[in-house]
Amino acid sequence: MHIMEGFLPAIWCIVWFAISIPVIAFGVYKLNKLVKEKREILPLLAVAGAFIFVLSSLKIPSVTGSCSHPTGTGIGAIMFGPAITAVLSTIVLIYQALFLAHGGLTTLGANVLSMGIAGPVVSYLIYKAGMKTKLNFYFIVFLAAAFGDWATYMVTSTQLALAYPAGGVLTFGAFLSSFGKFAAVFAFTQLPLAIIEGAVSALLFKYVVDVKSDILVEMKVLEDSVVRKLRGISA
Amino acid sequence: MTNILDDYALMSPLRHRNNWLKLAIVLFGLLAGVSATSSIPPFFIAFCMSLTTVGLGKTPLQLYFKLLLAPMGFAVVSVLIIAFFSGSGPEMLAFELLGYPLSIRADGLELALLVLSRSLSGMCCLYFLALTTPMIELFAVLKASRLPESLIELSMLIYRYIFVFLDMALNIRYAQTVRLGYSNFRRSINSLGMLTSTLFIRSWEQGDKLFLAMNSRCYDGKMTIFEVHRPVKATELLLTSAYFLLTLALFYFTKNISIV
Repeated sequence: MHIMEGFLPAIWCIVWFAISIPVIAFGVYKLNKLVKEKREILPLLAVAGAFIFVLSSLKIPSVTGSCSHPTGTGIGAIMFGPAITAVLSTIVLIYQALFLAHGGLTTLGANVLSMGIAGPVVSYLIYKAGMKTKLNFYFIVFLAAAFGDWATYMVTSTQLALAYPAGGVLTFGAFLSSFGKFAAVFAFTQLPLAIIEGAVSALLFKYVVDVKSDILVEMKVLEDSVVRKLRGISA
Repeated sequence: MTNILDDYALMSPLRHRNNWLKLAIVLFGLLAGVSATSSIPPFFIAFCMSLTTVGLGKTPLQLYFKLLLAPMGFAVVSVLIIAFFSGSGPEMLAFELLGYPLSIRADGLELALLVLSRSLSGMCCLYFLALTTPMIELFAVLKASRLPESLIELSMLIYRYIFVFLDMALNIRYAQTVRLGYSNFRRSINSLGMLTSTLFIRSWEQGDKLFLAMNSRCYDGKMTIFEVHRPVKATELLLTSAYFLLTLALFYFTKNISIV
């Protein structure tokens, strides 16, 4: 869920940039280290970024009839980890602002925090925790993507409520009341949307495991034994 | 083929103007827009930027209006929330919806109007940049800035592959639609899953090929691009400073003025 250009007052733009920039810097640091170690990773990351962009520009079927876009960052977080995903989503968000007019430049900090940092971190944590349990792999992917989306939506509602608290004065009560309202209104589209994105992400992994599971093993997303079990081949 | 805004930017006559000047205009507009305390300066900025984009940038007027309407869905919903729930002044309009009292207060409406005008001015500035400056020109600017090299390389490669994959995705989607892949809800979810996974596998293979191709051409982590030198003309400078001064003056004089 993008906050559009000019929607946040100047002070909040600065605050969200100040929070996002250190995380992006850390991501760039990790990226540099990775590229130095394995030079072949840069083209792969580039196509991954383009993949996230194209994914987020596809309309997904929505129950309410309005068209909505998947964020695609949950998948990124599972595959590349949250730090790299933060860098990729920052670039993707700039392109989205310039090419598709989703989001904006002054609200970039806020959008990076919600879509490039909070969402992927939640997805990644759920995925890591889930893999330790005996749950079905596709179900874990579904949960990770869906909860990542919800985290994004919660952070966006928080950002909007902080900028525009009820009554115009920022107190805890006013924030809560305004947060409730933003969250309730956007819940109509965001709750089903997250479930759909979760389902699509799980399907994506299912087809990739079926057709070309060696990619996932190579990227260390899945262990070889897990892939064998998923495909029903006894090791 | 014009799929995204960048395609229009490539055709715009303003493409051949100084990049730094355009960036300065946009940044000024964005910052002045979000820090305005009255809704008059943002509307003024939006008007000027639209005039420049359509008049000098030769963007089709119809397209421009369609573009402006697109992101307004989010804006209208959020502005309504602000109008109804913020503010504490005298009530202007009150009614009940499903037994729940709703009212618009004067200061709430004022704030909603301000937010709407800021979003509008922001969108106009953004469209000015998007519709007159192709990304290729901006890369030269990025190179001149002190951003990390790997980040810029990554952005350039991503930019290149966006078009390849967008084309691929549209083709697959077309093929799926023709075969009734989106005829009902269950099928659309399934089709979308197939589309994304195919896209993922193909992009992965493309990444492998790209590495091979770049390596065999001695890629050492640095792509050099050619920057065309375009000096700022006197008329451009004059117009820009007039615009800046007018906006600043308006900004100063409307500091405490409210419309409602």
